[in-house]
Order: sequence, then C-alpha cells, then structure tokens
Amino acid sequence: MRSEILYPGAFPMVRVELAAGEQIKAESGAMVGASPTIDVESKMEGGFLGALSRKLLTGEKFFFQTLRASRGPGEVLLAPTVPGEIVVLELDGVNEYMVQKDGFLAGADTVSIESKMQSFTRGLMGGEGFFILKIGGKGTLILNSFGAIHRIDLKPDQEYIVDNSHMVAWSATTSYNIERASSGWVASFTSGEGFVCRFRGPGVVYIQSRNPGGFGAWIRQFIPVSE
Amino acid sequence: MSSSPNALCFGYELPASGAPCLVRFGGQGLTVTFVSESPVGWSEEVPFTALSVSVGGLDHDQLVLKWTGDRGERALYLKDADLIRSFRRSAPESLHAPFEQAAERARLVRRRRRMVWGVVAGAILVLSAGLWRGGDLLVALAVERIPPEWEQKLGESAYRDFLARQDIVKEGPAVSAVQEMTRRLVEQIPNNPYKFEVTVVKSDVVNAFALPGGYIVVFTGLMKKATAAEEVAGVLSHELNHVLQRHGLERIVKRLGLVAAASIVFGDQQGLAGLMKQFGVELMTLKFGREQETEADLTGLQLLYRAKIDPSGMISFFERLSEKDEGRMEWLSTHPMSQGRAERLKAELAAMPKLSPVPFTFEWAAVRESLGVPLPAEP
Ligand SMILES: [Zn+2]
Repeated sequence: MRSEILYPGAFPMVRVELAAGEQIKAESGAMVGASPTIDVESKMEGGFLGALSRKLLTGEKFFFQTLRASRGPGEVLLAPTVPGEIVVLELDGVNEYMVQKDGFLAGADTVSIESKMQSFTRGLMGGEGFFILKIGGKGTLILNSFGAIHRIDLKPDQEYIVDNSHMVAWSATTSYNIERASSGWVASFTSGEGFVCRFRGPGVVYIQSRNPGGFGAWIRQFIPVSE
Repeated sequence: MSSSPNALCFGYELPASGAPCLVRFGGQGLTVTFVSESPVGWSEEVPFTALSVSVGGLDHDQLVLKWTGDRGERALYLKDADLIRSFRRSAPESLHAPFEQAAERARLVRRRRRMVWGVVAGAILVLSAGLWRGGDLLVALAVERIPPEWEQKLGESAYRDFLARQDIVKEGPAVSAVQEMTRRLVEQIPNNPYKFEVTVVKSDVVNAFALPGGYIVVFTGLMKKATAAEEVAGVLSHELNHVLQRHGLERIVKRLGLVAAASIVFGDQQGLAGLMKQFGVELMTLKFGREQETEADLTGLQLLYRAKIDPSGMISFFERLSEKDEGRMEWLSTHPMSQGRAERLKAELAAMPKLSPVPFTFEWAAVRESLGVPLPAEP
C-alpha cells in the first residue's frame, strides 16, 4: 500500500495504490473512486448484533469497508465527508493511538482497530462519545479532521489543555482528564460548554482547527425556520 | 534475535510520539536499543538502582520506568505483558514494592471504571424498566427530545417501504374524496408542524393507519364499509390526532425500552434512528394504548367539529366497527375498542353547541360505486 495526499488543504483526497491481493480498511462512504480491479466489501465485524450495537453506540458512521485489489493492482481515491485535512501516520507496532470515531478515514489491513469504552465521565463530557477507537498494529493509518490538523508534542508530564470538541487523536501513552473550565476559559473556548481536556504527556495530540458542533450551530442560524 | 520494538522511549531529544525501542532485562539492569533513531542500534544501559516505577497511559495499563541519564530524563512505556513479567522476574527486591503499588493503582482505576459503568447500566435498567411499566412521564420526556424531522424521516421510510408492496389507487373519486376530507381537517389544525400525506390502498382490509410524521394510509375496505363520508372523515380525524399527539413515537419508545432509553439519555439520536429503521416495519402494526385511543377520539371529535363535519358519523361508525361478526375488522386490532367509547363521544358531542355541518362536494354513493359497491336500490 502506498498513499499520497492530493490537493492538500481544505478539500484533500488521498490516493492509495494497492498491489494485487492487497486490501485496506476504510470508513464506509469514504470511497470516491477506484480502479475496476478493486472490490468493495462491507464488513460487519462481530456479526449483525455487533454491527448493530456498534452502530447504536458509536453512531451511524462507523461501519468499515474493506477495499481489496482482488483482480490485479489498482488504486482507490478516498475523501472525508467534511472539509478538512488528511494526515498519514506510520504505525511501527508499538505506537498506539486513540482516535475519536469521526477521525478515522482508512488504514492498512495490518492496522488493528478496536472500539473501546471510555470512562463514564470522559464519555459524557468528552464530546467524542462513549466509544473511541484504539488503533495499533503496524502500517499506514490515515486520519481526517474538520478544519486543519494541528499536532501538539508533549514531553513526559508536560500538560496541555484542549477544548473537548477539537480532539482528533492522541497517543495511548498520553492520559487526559476532563475538567470544568475555570470561568475565564469558558468564554474563550469555542464549544462554550465549559469542558476542557487536560492532556498529560508523553505523546502527541492531534487537534482539529474547527469544531463540528459549533459549525453546525453557526449554519443553523441561516436556515429559515418553517412555521 | 528479534529486533522488532517492544516499548516506547521518551526523552528530551527523542520524538514526542516516542522512539520505538527494544528493551531487555538482565541481572543488573535493562538495555534499551533504539531501532529507528539514528544511529540505529545505539543502546543505553540503565542499572535497576536508577529506575523509578509507575503506571501511565490513558487506561493506566502501561508500566512506566523513569531515570535520569547522560541525556537528561528518560521515560520508558511498556505494555507488552511478557516484557512486564520479565521485568518483575529480574527486578531486585527494592523495586518490588513500587511495582506492586503501581499494579494495585492500575487495578483500582480499572475496578472503579467497571463500577461506574455498572452503576450506569443499573440506572439504565431501572429507567427502562420504568418505561416498560408505563412510566408515561419518562416516555413523554424521551419523545419530546426526538426532533420532528426524524419522526418524518422514520415515518416516510416506513411509508414508502409499505406502499412499494401495495396496490395504490392513484386517482378517481375515492382519492379526491379522501383528499378533500383531509384538507378540511388539516386546515383546522393550528400551528401544524406536519405535512400530511394520504394514500388510498386497494385492499379489503377494514383499516386506516397513520405513521409518525403525518403519513396516512386508508384501505378501500374501510371506505366500502362506511355508509357516509362523515364516517371516513371521523376515522381520518382520529388518525390525524394520533400523529399530532405523537402516539406512534410513544409506543416505539416504550417498545424499544432499554436501548432507546440509553441512546436518548446519552444523546445519541443518530444511533436511535438506525435502530428505529430496523423496527420501521413494525410501525404499521403498532397497537395504540387505551388512553391514546381516548385522546385521539376526543381531539378527533373536536377537529371534526371545527372543520364543520358532522361528528355523529364517527360515532356511529365506531359503534358498527365494535360489533362482532362484521368480517375482517383490522381497525380494532390496532385501535383497541373499549366499552363505552362511543357513549363517551356521544356525551362529549351533546355538550357542544349545535353544529350546522358543511357538506362535502362529492356524493358518497358515487365514491363507493367507484370502489365496486353497487348503488343502493330505491326502496
Ligand atoms: Zn386509534
């Protein structure tokens, strides 16, 4: 698998080249185009009930697709639903990332994806739901964000505070706590909900420069309300 | 010897995401060999006496070994179970106590998390048990949180699914008649959030149903059974009010119980939509409750009255429908008839000021004839 980001910026697309017989996992609905040698297979991992409960608990979006170059080598074009950046990470077998469910775009077949239940407070306040994805293994991982992706590097015990709706992914070696923002923070953070995440290194934290919920609220004010 | 990394090393000059490395424990201490930092294969030896032990990581599932070396502070994150066991075997007595403390702390965090989830699951169970036992207040609260657009989407998908398998009467006197009745009723609904849609389906089933969001189906069987247009208008008025009072949603929320309560309470309405779709087919067979019937009857009666349609048609039709041996009475299976229902409506009607009804523009006998019911013979 070889990947290349096309049109970097707000409306990127990623081209993935697959050798014959190679396959990748992709978020369902991410495929824009593909060579005729590629087969699409919707995988309901964990059977129907597993898929249903995942759909219920992690939201509609998280159904995988397997894209396989079954009839010879070929390429796939993938793009996220929302405008925003794409970032490619190479996993080396020891690095693991926690990814909020909308952040996953695609990954090599050798990348392992696990849906994990968070602690209750984190799930309730964290803004990324009760389930997050734990992604490990070896190979290419492709993430997407809403807006630009910003990377924050944390040394051991170094802390950083992020508004809860801006989180995309973070190293499994990083821990975080949800905190009520002190009154001065509330107004300056974009979600306005008054909750922030205090990350503690070591590790890296990827955040997105736009807040999906905030954007939705902004859009709604222009939609005429029918009486 | 394997060179695939088994740990991550953090330090001042190392990458923030950690440098993959190979860790081995020996009699005196550990050896860290970097596998991707240049120079590749460069290693550091650290004596056990220099190490401090703690747990780290998001789930407190990683063993953290820290020391201060020639290049400043270093932290090693281990999560491989074999490697952690190997540390425990080789580490001297002095590190056992901190190790056990760290392990205990990790167990505590995990136990506390399980406990919180247990309490939450218990609360959901109690809540949904409340829903099952008719905690009407909770149902009402949950239903209130469902946006009307969803209700519409849900109803519409079930409606289209259903109609795709039916013989639809597309035009003619029956369709115009039903549309005229609906129009007159809907005009009298103040602040109507729904865009009602009515379809006549060719079938001997004596029934009509309303899906959430305002999608209504009337079977020709019911129209044939009615001896006056006001009777059908009565049924329509009753159905419209099931929609307006969101009775269908109330039933669904009750039926889904646990799952629905959980996802509504957690605000995951997307998931609920997916689930409701699975139950979409069941919408047609949802049986309304007795209280919902009474509510739809009374508000239906008032709506007929405001639309200047004689409500006595509704009452007499209900009376006829509740008589036994009237052939296939599917309407009763989804709208349970309770005793005194017609009487209650009669009393209600008697208390209202006298109404001078405005007749419909069509002849009911002609409508029925178009459905294959012969015109009544002149006596
Ligand atoms: Zn009814």
